[in-house]
Amino acid sequence: MTLLAMMTWLEHRPFAISIAESTWLFPIIETVHVLALTIVVGSVAMMDLRLLGVGRNDRAASEVIASTLPWAWSSFVVAVTAGSLLFSSKAATYYVNLPFRIKVACLALAGVNMLIFHLVTARGMAAWDRGTPPPAARRAAALSLTLWIVIVATGRWIGFT
Amino acid sequence: MQNFSDWLAATALSHLFAGLTWFVPVVQTVHILSIAVVVTTLGMLDFRLLRLSRRGPPLSTMAGNFIPWTWRALGVLLVSGILLIITEPARELMNGAFRLKMLLVLLLVLLTFTCQKATAADPDYWSASPGRRRLGGVLGAASLVLCVSIVAAGRLIAYL
Repeated sequence: MTLLAMMTWLEHRPFAISIAESTWLFPIIETVHVLALTIVVGSVAMMDLRLLGVGRNDRAASEVIASTLPWAWSSFVVAVTAGSLLFSSKAATYYVNLPFRIKVACLALAGVNMLIFHLVTARGMAAWDRGTPPPAARRAAALSLTLWIVIVATGRWIGFT
Repeated sequence: MQNFSDWLAATALSHLFAGLTWFVPVVQTVHILSIAVVVTTLGMLDFRLLRLSRRGPPLSTMAGNFIPWTWRALGVLLVSGILLIITEPARELMNGAFRLKMLLVLLLVLLTFTCQKATAADPDYWSASPGRRRLGGVLGAASLVLCVSIVAAGRLIAYL
């Protein structure tokens, strides 16, 4: 079975058909998706801006990350769940949609970037926790911020295609 | 309002913006990114007022750090929102969800301003007594409900 055939199968599931045919299910799930993604982007930006040294830097980077990361992860789970339901309603259409593909690629890149930061760069965090983060940490933060802006922009772009 | 909407739609600026296909998606993206700042900063403060979260520095310090960003983002929201209205006046001005959204935004701004003043005047304002803690919880819940309703009303504009 090709991926496209799988998408066609997905959009013919009863729940996917319900979302596609109902007047209000799509807008309601979309609102949940938007609310969740605003918290993902807002909390990720808080961590990135701390690493970039923008704003008040009176809190240690590790403290900012520890208190913000639970917000980012819990809202990310909600955003992905709601997003997957929206996707299922027109899976084959979204699957071949250019902005959707760019968005998914950027999400994957943001994940890899975060993984490298937490596994490699953040190891030496004790040395710069209250000071200026090293170039590798600032590069990761700038890349993260850029990717999330592109993710929001391509997400909005999907609605215009 | 209908007359104003018609007049605005006939202006050269409205025609200019409406003629640029990238204009609405780009301005909406800026609008959503600013909503992210407002919802995240207020949401985190509301959770602290509701005592659902105890993470981070004292509430007053957190408010001092966050609220300036909330106001800046609201400024960007006002400008990007006005640009969207100029581009498609009838879509917004003649829309019930848009009018409800503006009323809710006004309430949220007043609530945030009042809470900010109280916190700035007395850092322990929200923990001074059991009554104050309850008041903080009620206002935090009201602020959360307003944030959620504003985003919902904003999304609803496209469907009415």
